[in-house]
Amino acid sequence: HKPIVICIHIFVSALYFHIGETEKKCFIEEIPDETMIIGNYRTQLYDKQKEEYLPATQGLGMFVEVKDPDEKVILSRQYGSEGRFTFTSHTPGEHQICLHSNSSKFSLFAGGMLRVHLDIQVGEHTNNYAEIAAKDKLTELQLRVRQLVEQVDQIQKEQNYQRYREERFRQTSESTNQRVLWWSIVQTLILVAIGFWQMRHLKSFFEAKKLV
Amino acid sequence: MTPFLTARLRRYICTCSVLCVHLLRVCGSELTFELPDNAKQCFYEDITTGTKCTLEFQVVTGGHYDVDCRLEDPDGAVLYKEMKKHFCFSNEFSTFTHKTVYFDFQVGEDPPLFPNENRVTALTQMESACVSIHEALKSVIDYQTHFRLREAQGRSRAEDLNTRVAFWSIGEAFILLVVSISQVVLLRSFFSDKKTTTTRHSPT
Repeated sequence: HKPIVICIHIFVSALYFHIGETEKKCFIEEIPDETMIIGNYRTQLYDKQKEEYLPATQGLGMFVEVKDPDEKVILSRQYGSEGRFTFTSHTPGEHQICLHSNSSKFSLFAGGMLRVHLDIQVGEHTNNYAEIAAKDKLTELQLRVRQLVEQVDQIQKEQNYQRYREERFRQTSESTNQRVLWWSIVQTLILVAIGFWQMRHLKSFFEAKKLV
Repeated sequence: MTPFLTARLRRYICTCSVLCVHLLRVCGSELTFELPDNAKQCFYEDITTGTKCTLEFQVVTGGHYDVDCRLEDPDGAVLYKEMKKHFCFSNEFSTFTHKTVYFDFQVGEDPPLFPNENRVTALTQMESACVSIHEALKSVIDYQTHFRLREAQGRSRAEDLNTRVAFWSIGEAFILLVVSISQVVLLRSFFSDKKTTTTRHSPT
């Protein structure tokens, strides 16, 4: 039960947004490979009697779907009204995190909206330093240095990913360059060939008609 | 209270700063999402009065890279202690381009490394060196993010250009062939009609 308590504590003030009943909200995370992402969410439903948002009932859950850059689903699970999902990327690129509610009891929404508090942590931010300090028995200075090491690690991964992206960008630009070059040559050839064909065809046509 | 502001710039950094009385220990939120055309997406956050927060957003792909952003304070009728701020991204002015928007909303300062750290004792030289390296690395990561977004912008434009060039070449080749063949056919038809009219008129 301890993890749940920690979750709620972190959630005291997270960003929230409203989602409709059948609406699907997707977020994009562009990350290098071997990066961990932890997402925490909490839902609230509007209570008309009390005219405020209260924690959602048990029946209401959220369906979380995570797709990797190749459109392959790497996480597809249903969680309760409060949940925490974790995944690690194995290919660098744009991952898509989609949330939608699985309300089986439509009357719960009653035309209102569901309020979703969401917090997504990427890479170095996923580390729980208090836990690491307790597990490895680190002094304060050692913990700080460990945090710096994790940060530098993340920077290095991001730079590797940056090199890979730049390579793709360069390939695209060179492909465009090639296409434009070939197209100019082919277009000139087509024009000249068509010109020849037109003149020859018309000449033979007029000769046949005895006009030339 | 700070009034709401409307921005329609490519990249806009808005800081709403009130006198820092309380520093709420909250992390920031950084999200990237797709904004479909004619859509509006709002995000809300509960913040105590007196917290300095920073919102930074950038349109990564789509259209003219512009989006309406509105940051609103609640009315005075809300409770005094807690104030909701919400900001909205609107793409209602465009009809067919959906956009990808990145935003980073930081509220307050970063949480300290140790939950029960007492600020009374001064940091040793090593510790303060670690703190300054940490801050420098944070700004390096921040710059990396900006660079990544700019590169994503450029790359999506390049890929767009690539597909457009491909389609245009094929389309133009087709148009060329159609136009040249129809020219010849049309010319032939002019002369063919004349021939039939001359043969018809000759007996008279």
